[in-house]
Amino acid sequence: MNLRLDHVAGGVFIVAGALIFAASDDLPFGTLASPGAGMLPKLVMGLMMAFGLVLLLRAGASPRFAAVAWDDLPHALRVIGLAAAAAALYTTLGFLVTVSLLLFGLTFAVERKPVLHAAGFSIGVTGLAYLLFNTLLKSPLPRGVLGF
Amino acid sequence: MEATLDSLALGFSVAFRPDVLLYAFIGCLVGTLVGMLPGIGPLAGISILLPITFGLDATKAIVMLAGIYYGSQYGGSTTSILMRIPGEAASVMTCIDGYAMAQKGRAGAALCIAAVGSFVAGTFGVIVLTVVAPPLAGFALRFGPPEYTALLVLGLVFLAYMSSTSLARTLLMASVGLLLGCIGIDVMTGHFRYSFDIKELGDGIGIVPVAVGLFGLGEILSTPSSTTRVRIAPPRLAELMPSREEWRQSAAPIARGSVLGFLVGIVPGSAHIISSFLSYALEKRISKTPEEFGKGAVAGVAGPESANNAASTGAFVPMLALGLPTGPVTAVLMAALLIHGVPPGPMLVSEHPQVFWGFIASMYVGNLMLLALNLPLVGLFVSVLRIPYAYLYPLIIMFCIIGVYEVNHSVVDVWIMLIMGVVGYGLRKFDFDPAPLVLGLVIAPTFELSLRQSLLMSSGDWTIFFNRPIAATLLAICGALLAASAISFLTRRDWRGKLAEAETGEER
Repeated sequence: MNLRLDHVAGGVFIVAGALIFAASDDLPFGTLASPGAGMLPKLVMGLMMAFGLVLLLRAGASPRFAAVAWDDLPHALRVIGLAAAAAALYTTLGFLVTVSLLLFGLTFAVERKPVLHAAGFSIGVTGLAYLLFNTLLKSPLPRGVLGF
Repeated sequence: MEATLDSLALGFSVAFRPDVLLYAFIGCLVGTLVGMLPGIGPLAGISILLPITFGLDATKAIVMLAGIYYGSQYGGSTTSILMRIPGEAASVMTCIDGYAMAQKGRAGAALCIAAVGSFVAGTFGVIVLTVVAPPLAGFALRFGPPEYTALLVLGLVFLAYMSSTSLARTLLMASVGLLLGCIGIDVMTGHFRYSFDIKELGDGIGIVPVAVGLFGLGEILSTPSSTTRVRIAPPRLAELMPSREEWRQSAAPIARGSVLGFLVGIVPGSAHIISSFLSYALEKRISKTPEEFGKGAVAGVAGPESANNAASTGAFVPMLALGLPTGPVTAVLMAALLIHGVPPGPMLVSEHPQVFWGFIASMYVGNLMLLALNLPLVGLFVSVLRIPYAYLYPLIIMFCIIGVYEVNHSVVDVWIMLIMGVVGYGLRKFDFDPAPLVLGLVIAPTFELSLRQSLLMSSGDWTIFFNRPIAATLLAICGALLAASAISFLTRRDWRGKLAEAETGEER
């Protein structure tokens, strides 16, 4: 059997639905006269699994899974990895340091731009954004352990 | 009618305040840029800039954000005509004949027709909105929980019916959105649902991190910078004015596109996108020279550009009058109003007339601003496209992080955005449209509350949804749409297929 796109998609939603259903033990379904906190989530989960099953059953018409192009994945992983590191450090190092490093990482390490261009861009843009949000719009940005 | 005019006068007194004018201008300007830049749609633009409005009052906030939305419809046409790159999904059809006109040295005329068509359609849409929304809101005051439940079900079914992907895929995405909307404390019983001891999840998942993640970050992850090359066909703006013949050819398509776009805009779905496809198909069908389509037909620019602008205005009717978002953009705009303590819906006109009428009046002004902005400054806007993507997307990621964090000053929201970015990337790979997911997330709290209230009202008798005339009518329409979909599936004749045929026919 050729593995199709919708075999994988349908399967993922059915398994996800089953896992969430298992995690919903503590939520009472209630009755029609007195609906509980678990009624809508469980109904929706049932729908999600049913539509997943429809995809699975009609998967023959979808493209082959092997035909999906994943050539953008390495770039996506690098971008999301740097963004995740920035999220982890955001409140610890503060906006100025974290975002400068993030922009530098993306332009220098991911996009291979010259180091001086990347550094100038990162510091300049971060400074302008700080001025715009923190100073002009009075929307406080996080300060880090270094005090800025 | 006199009362409407009095209210509109109140609206103009708000819209002409210098501060409101300024925010309308900023919205239109940013919207034009958002529409032009490939990879940032109106939804991502509005979501990213939403936190900037927190310091503003509700009127200025909604005026600016709506300006981004309809401004993006104007901006999208520029890149389509000059570069054959749709800056925005609704401008895909403009690429075909707009770019062909540019190749013939009529770029200026195409830009002018697109801008005038957008202006006429946008203004037509606002006039109809002015007339239709208040009485519709008055009618909606008769709605109780069963009617709202039925209306929201109809919204989802309509969205699925109008979606460019299959019914099952759309409803599956909407189910995922509804499920995400169930996260947090249950307001009726106090149960914590799926919060996994993360206290920030007690209030549920916000719309902003989900929308920014799916549409902003997800798009960036799917767009490697090495594949993004910008080539600009230099516009001959000296020939900005269309000829008398081009004006004549564009008049009827603009009129038809305005009416068609507004009607499509009212129904849930990605109306501004669908309306431009429908308009293109309609213009080609009724044209005496269909062979000209694809080779620079004026009607192929005028119709779709008018339709997508009218549709973006039409989408405000159910949002303002019923509190029903018809798509992800109106969902985020609704969220913006809610954040400012102004719930959209039937009571908006009576409880917040300044916001309602100020917003409507600002759209008249905004359409004029866009006309003035888009024609003389087109050369300036085009220069923005020369920013290399390798520098542009890090900038967007920075705005995503700032925007999402500033909503609640919560890093958990930033993590949710990152997760949603990965989910968005995956959904694109598997050919899912993430828009219904956002819509499901937005309507989940109202849907659950009205469903449970209906069942409590009737002591568990589910026939309450069929015993009340309005609810029964709405559910009957749902049934008809589902039946139509089933027939399309069985006979393999579907309007999506016909549209796809029309589109591929042009591109051949």
